[in-house]
Amino acid sequence: MTLEELMRRARLWRAGEVSAEGGLSTGFDALDAMLPGGGWPHPGLIEILASRPGIGALRLLLPALAALGRRQQWLIWVAPPYLPNAPAMEAAGLELSRVLLIDVDAASATGAAARRPTRRQQTAAEREFWAFEQALRFMDAGAALYWPGTLAPLALRRLQLACEAGGSLGVLFRSPDCAGQASPAALRLLLSPVAGSTEVTVQVLKCRGSLQTRECRLAL
Amino acid sequence: MKHEWSIVAPGSLPPAASVPRLGAVASTAAPAPAAQRLWLAVHLPRFTLDMALRGNTTRKACVLVEGEGRQQRITQANAEATRLGMRTGLPLSAAHALGEVLAFTRVPAVEQQALQQLCAWAYQFTPVLAPLPPDGLIMEVRGSLGLFGGLHGLLSRLRRELRQLGFQAVAFGTAPTPTAAHWLARARQTAPVESLAALPAALSQVPLDVMGLPARLLQDFCGIGIRTIGECLRLPRDSLARRFTPELLLTLDRALGRQPDPVPAFELPACFASRIDLLWEIHHAQGLGLAMERLLHELTGVLRAQASAIRQLDWQLHHADGSVSRHSINLLQQSRDLPHLFRLSREYFLRQQIGSPVRGISLEAARFERLPAVTEGDLFSPAKASAETESWPQFVERLRARLGDEALRGLSTRADHRPERASCATVVRQAQRARPVGTPTGSRRWPDRPLWLTRTPVPLSTEDGRPSFDGPLELTAERERIQTGWWDGAEVARDYFIARNQHGSRLWIFRELAGARGWYLHGIFE
Repeated sequence: MTLEELMRRARLWRAGEVSAEGGLSTGFDALDAMLPGGGWPHPGLIEILASRPGIGALRLLLPALAALGRRQQWLIWVAPPYLPNAPAMEAAGLELSRVLLIDVDAASATGAAARRPTRRQQTAAEREFWAFEQALRFMDAGAALYWPGTLAPLALRRLQLACEAGGSLGVLFRSPDCAGQASPAALRLLLSPVAGSTEVTVQVLKCRGSLQTRECRLAL
Repeated sequence: MKHEWSIVAPGSLPPAASVPRLGAVASTAAPAPAAQRLWLAVHLPRFTLDMALRGNTTRKACVLVEGEGRQQRITQANAEATRLGMRTGLPLSAAHALGEVLAFTRVPAVEQQALQQLCAWAYQFTPVLAPLPPDGLIMEVRGSLGLFGGLHGLLSRLRRELRQLGFQAVAFGTAPTPTAAHWLARARQTAPVESLAALPAALSQVPLDVMGLPARLLQDFCGIGIRTIGECLRLPRDSLARRFTPELLLTLDRALGRQPDPVPAFELPACFASRIDLLWEIHHAQGLGLAMERLLHELTGVLRAQASAIRQLDWQLHHADGSVSRHSINLLQQSRDLPHLFRLSREYFLRQQIGSPVRGISLEAARFERLPAVTEGDLFSPAKASAETESWPQFVERLRARLGDEALRGLSTRADHRPERASCATVVRQAQRARPVGTPTGSRRWPDRPLWLTRTPVPLSTEDGRPSFDGPLELTAERERIQTGWWDGAEVARDYFIARNQHGSRLWIFRELAGARGWYLHGIFE
């Protein structure tokens, strides 16, 4: 087998080469221009690390989620930290009849810092993880969003494989403490607010492909 | 001595079946027509024992005994018992000397019910069938051969599916008459007999004990040196009737096709109820897997036989202390798909506490519904949807079985100006239809709303009269006043502001207009 055949047949990636995977447009031109593939890696697992709630992590995804809703694909939210507000979602363009909320422990705390988990909470977290993985594997799911507690790298690998099996977009919202942990996700973004303005800095921690710039500023 | 059989039964003989003359060349007889019936007898030599062992896999030696007291003898033995040397006819005390053995006794009522159940299951292969007590079925399969891939295909499928039901030992016999097929099955002669002319030759070596004769008659035959059916057929007919019984002659004629051999019509039961008793107590749901799978195999076979599906599974667990706990699993969509039902049931029981240990499990399904002929998907839907992948209702059912009904919610808006009521989480009932693209939404005329609402308004602390959450909050934008709700008693009087804190989070806070005039956090603009 010659080298050309190997390059053509096997899934080899050369540094400097733009990834050929289809990207789902993010809706923000600056972000589209920065990310390899011109958008979110679809199918793939995305990690969004936001230092604070309320700076715009979800707003970053809204155009892409609205596009998936227009294609009649399901949007599954697993363990959201607060209640989703339907009128706001509708105004943002999401298809409400294709939204499913999964909340195992409906009385859970709202995004509190990690206390030592009791046995009952642990099993609730395991069930949420299972539900998220099943949602990723489901063929008709466009995207699934999850707010996990702590995740082991092996669990992340499983989620990445589940995304590819089901052809869906998986989004994990985690805290910036996890930035140092290795992760098999296809794309990792760190969001931080810019002091003194309403803009947000989006920094790419990891992606598949080469980058011209590592960060950009967006007004969300 | 060779005698000629010269009796021709009136009327009901299939045409062109000529009288077979032993010792004469039979090739002058005209061939039987293709529309002649073909009977398949299914003989389950270890029927009772397999029924008792269905719910567990066990490596112990198990035997079925009959008789009283010290006369108890083995009548059926499983593979492990046979390996240890315990054969039929051995006294139970001798079996105990050979090794550790579990002994079962027969309960005729349970056996009969189980045989009826098996008939209902086998109805999916042919509508003309009947039970052959105590341990067999007779089925007419000429019409089914085309669908199931010929006789060989049908037999291998039957063998495979009976094994999935838990019956390890199966023998088949195929003949143009039911009685002959039954005898061939009991004699383990699997070579099919296609025509009436070949029957006497096929039956010639079959031993007499398959006929089910009383023991005294068998002894008499032994006394005169007759051991096989072929030898019996060679005896003169009138002396046979005189010396033994006329019924014997009738049976032989029926087997050879000279007399009509009617099979009683089988009536399908209207509902399904089946039970498996376990060998030992089960404390965890994982132990129920095999029993559940076997019961679901039976149920799906019966459903396929009647071209129906079900919407509800009723499981009952029989506990060691005599109590019975009932569990109902409702399905969003009617189904008879075995892997799907098994996954649902298994995940349901994994979530439930079993309570006290379980000795038996039974499954009931009362309402059979006709499957609709319409298919869900259309020809031009995107390539991802195919028959093997799960549909949305199946996926939701699976999640509900594992997480509970309350864990899944849909989302919808309500026409209400109070923010906590404008958004409501709905119960996921069935597949929701999407709104057609382009219908206007009512919320466009509303001002900015946050994407998240807190479950209850969170009181904020104040510094210098200004609210603070993670630092002092700066109020931006105009305030919005939301007031009254007198029609259902949940009155609100609030001034809403969009606030920003020093870390850049945008929050939706309000101030009460009445009472303590406190500040609260209600939403987050993510």
